[in-house]
Amino acid sequence: MSAPAAGHTDERIMERRPYFLLGDLVSNTAVGGLVALVVASVVGETWPMTLAMVLGMLVGDFVALPAAVGLSVLFGAMELMLPVMLSGMLSGMVVGMRAASGPMSTGAALALGAALGLLALLATYGLNVYIQGQHRRRVS
Amino acid sequence: MDIATQRKWDNAVRGYDLMNGFGPERRWEPWKRQLFSQMAGNVLFLAIGTGQDIQFFPPGRRITALDISERMLDQARPRAEQYDGDLALRHLDVHDLDYPPATFDQAFTSCTFCSVPNPVDGLRALGRVLKPGGTLGMFEHTGSRFFPFGLMLDLMTPLTRRLGPELNRNTPDNVRRAGFVDVEVEPVYLDVVKIIRARRPD
Repeated sequence: MSAPAAGHTDERIMERRPYFLLGDLVSNTAVGGLVALVVASVVGETWPMTLAMVLGMLVGDFVALPAAVGLSVLFGAMELMLPVMLSGMLSGMVVGMRAASGPMSTGAALALGAALGLLALLATYGLNVYIQGQHRRRVS
Repeated sequence: MDIATQRKWDNAVRGYDLMNGFGPERRWEPWKRQLFSQMAGNVLFLAIGTGQDIQFFPPGRRITALDISERMLDQARPRAEQYDGDLALRHLDVHDLDYPPATFDQAFTSCTFCSVPNPVDGLRALGRVLKPGGTLGMFEHTGSRFFPFGLMLDLMTPLTRRLGPELNRNTPDNVRRAGFVDVEVEPVYLDVVKIIRARRPD
């Protein structure tokens, strides 16, 4: 057995199948938004920023984990679970801090959470491309 | 036979195909097909589970597939019967491999060494039944060196260990510690899902 030809690897540096791309997008924005709604409803404007961030992160993980397990049935195991967990954590932290700093509407929380979910997804895509690129350079 | 591990996987059979049969298998299909396309000679496949991977085996190969769970093998049998080649299933623990030394040309695993209780011993057992120069091909998930993914996998492992796999193992290191050489690691997703290729020394 030997390493696959470079052309073979090129095709798989990024996921390109629309079903999985769309699944990743919907899963991460939905979980980011859901976590944001939960955290915004829990955290009060008078809370200390650090407490809001830590509690937001814990709530984010608590909400994201079962969601990730459920969504993995449709869209893949680690490829789905890791970015969704990150989305939940990031959304919980940022929305928690934002909610502690002043009033925030439900719509604003949802939009911020979804945007953070998208950011988490793009960050993991970027890291994946970096790792695949490093490997490709090493074997070529 | 490791009865505790056998029982764990016997219990996991319910819902196993539901959890793993569609999303994860479709996502990993191109990589698994690529890895298994290299099957040649007398092949040992460790931990066939419910036989989800059989659909990715190239036709016409001679494969012996093992699993520690009889209930998993019951699910795998109809899939094995559909395989266009010579595919034999056996109920066997990797730690109890009863084949003579140097029986197989190749060994393959798929999400297996996240679950074998003593992975280095298990890999040594595989090495014993491989012919000198025989190859090992693994599709595995491991821990991560990147924050926060490594931390997430570390934190989830105490829970997942009870149900099935450990998420934070360093399988490439275990392969080296078991005495394999020419260890190559090809990332599939981040540094978590990967193909590992290695060779038993001549």
